[in-house]
Parts: sequence; C-alpha cells; structure tokens
Amino acid sequence: MKRLVPLIIMLITIFGLAYHITPKLPQQTELRPLGEFYLENSYFGDYSAKSPEVVTSILWDYRGLDTLFETSVFFIAIIGSLTLFRLNKKQEEEAKQKTKEFRVGLTLVIKSVTRIIVVMILAVSASIALHGHLTPGGGFQGGSALAIAPLLIIVAYSKYALEENGLDKTMALILRSVGLLGMGLVALIPLLSGGFIMQNQPIFPVELGGQLVSGSLIYYNFFEFLAVGAGFTAVFLLLAIPEKIFKKLLRREANE
Amino acid sequence: MSEILFYLGAIMITIGGICDLFGALGLLKFPNFYIRLHAATVGTIGGAVVPLFGVGFLALGADFLPHKYAIAGASFVTGIIVLLAAPAGSHALAYAAHKTKIVKWEPKCDHLEVEE
Repeated sequence: MKRLVPLIIMLITIFGLAYHITPKLPQQTELRPLGEFYLENSYFGDYSAKSPEVVTSILWDYRGLDTLFETSVFFIAIIGSLTLFRLNKKQEEEAKQKTKEFRVGLTLVIKSVTRIIVVMILAVSASIALHGHLTPGGGFQGGSALAIAPLLIIVAYSKYALEENGLDKTMALILRSVGLLGMGLVALIPLLSGGFIMQNQPIFPVELGGQLVSGSLIYYNFFEFLAVGAGFTAVFLLLAIPEKIFKKLLRREANE
Repeated sequence: MSEILFYLGAIMITIGGICDLFGALGLLKFPNFYIRLHAATVGTIGGAVVPLFGVGFLALGADFLPHKYAIAGASFVTGIIVLLAAPAGSHALAYAAHKTKIVKWEPKCDHLEVEE
C-alpha cells in the first residue's frame, strides 16, 4: 500500500495538470517582434536562402562563425582522441593484422540483419543531411547517423572487414579533411566577389533545376555530414583495435 | 478511409502503450537474464515498432497535416529498422551470454533434461 502512494500522487498530478491547467495556458496567436525580425531577414530578406527551416538558415548563414567554432570543438575532441591513440606507420600496419584468436564475426542472423540495416542507415542519414534545409536536422545529425553504419559493421564483422575494403583510419581522416575543406571553401568563396564571410550570399543559387537547394545551406550540410561521419568512424576504428595488441605495441616501444 | 486509418493508428498506439507497460513489469519481475531479455524485446517490438506503424497510419489518415507523407514515410522506415534490429540485438545478447557462460543458467523447467 505504501508503495502505491507515490504512484497515486503522480497520477493525480498528471491528470490535474492535463485537465485544469492546460486549457488556461495563454495561447500564442500573434508573431512576436523578435520572431518577425528573424523571419523577415532569414526567409523574406534580399539575401535569403528561402529555406523553410528557419533555424538551420539562421544557424548556418547568420550565426555561421558561432556554428563554425561549435563544430571545431567537436573536431578538437576527435584530434585529441587520435593523439591519444597515436601509432607510427609500422605499428599501424601491425594493428591491422588479424590476431590469431580472431574468428569471423558474429552469427549468421546478425550478419544478414546488419547487411540490410547498414544500407538503410546510409540512406536515412543521407536523407537527414540533404533535407537539412527543409526539415529539422542537418549535417551534424546526419553525420552522427552515418557513423552508426561503420560501428555496426565493426560489431558484426570486426574492424578488419572495414580495413580490407579500404576504409581504414587514413581514409577516414582524408574524408574528414575533405569535409572540413569544403566547409571552409563554401564559407570563403563569397569573399572573392565582395560578399561577407559565412553568410548566404546571392552567389549560390537558391534553386537548381526547379529544386530548392537553399544557397549555401545544402553545401554546408553535405560537407558537415561527411566530416562528422568520417571523424566518428576514425575514432571507432581506433577504439576497435584489440587492447592486447595495443598493449603489446606500447610495451615494445617502452623497451626500445 | 481517413477514419479507418485514424482508428487503426490509435489502436496500434494503445497496444504499444500496453506492451511497454508489460515489458517494464517483466523486466522488474522475471527471474533470470534470458526471460528478462524476452520482456525487453516485447518492449521494443510491441512498444516501439507497433506504435511507430500506428503513427504512420495516423499521419496518412490526417488530412489537415502538412507533409503527411514525409511523416508517415519516416515512421514506417524507422519502424522497419527497429523491427529488424531489435530481434538481432537480443539474439546477439543471448548468444554472447550463453557462449561466455557469464549468466547463471537456472531453468525452471528443462524439457531436454527430462528426455535425456
């Protein structure tokens, strides 16, 4: 009985709030001046990206430098973990060799399901990133979803499966750098023709072949997608090195 | 048509709530790891996949909703991914637990043992 008392109190509170307080909450019917200002400048303005997702458009185009530094915090974290796991070329080659005890991944059920789901995750993450200017979400969220695909392959098939097919740490870092370079270029190109840095300038077309691409937003989203996904993949690949091998390499280094 | 979809979706969401409740009760009350895993899977399949499909039907039936096909499509795709991933996940957990013999194996009733 004593245990039921908190449950009853919680139920009464929830139903009380739902029935008596919710209808009394004031309803927002008019646009507030601040919202109006942002809408005017981000959707209807002269330099607008015409993106219906105003948050994305403000974030990338009107608070671009802010976002750039927020993103760089993430990349500094990735660089930090790469430094923690640093190995020289020879050691890296050795970490790629399969260990003696290595047996081929998990069961058939998990492998078949992973094979299907990885493809679906790739499609979903690309859709999250490339719809970033139309719907909530965007490059960072899409990239985080993309990073799940290599993680699943590492769990089901082992990291050797990824490395044998060409996606090793170096490749992931190259992809990440391409993403960062792309973001930098998209930010800097408007400077060449007298525009401002990190803002949606009329240089980038709002529509391509009748499709709304929202100026610079889709390029930012795509490159951020690539950079975040590849950055996470690099860290996952390092974390997947068996601890035994890593300790062996470190011990040998200490002895030399 | 939209009313049928609305009621179908609402019923599926209700089923989802009930399955989540039973899954939570099972996690608290069931005796060992393997049976608790069953309760957790009831929670994910019944409590996440079914209501996601329900939301999809609800969105298809709602005429007032903007972007209703996008919402329905996202719900169905998410539902299918969870539907595939949840059984594979619990299979992996059970397989690993059985292989490593970490979990104590206390069958309440072992038919195989009787037959042997």
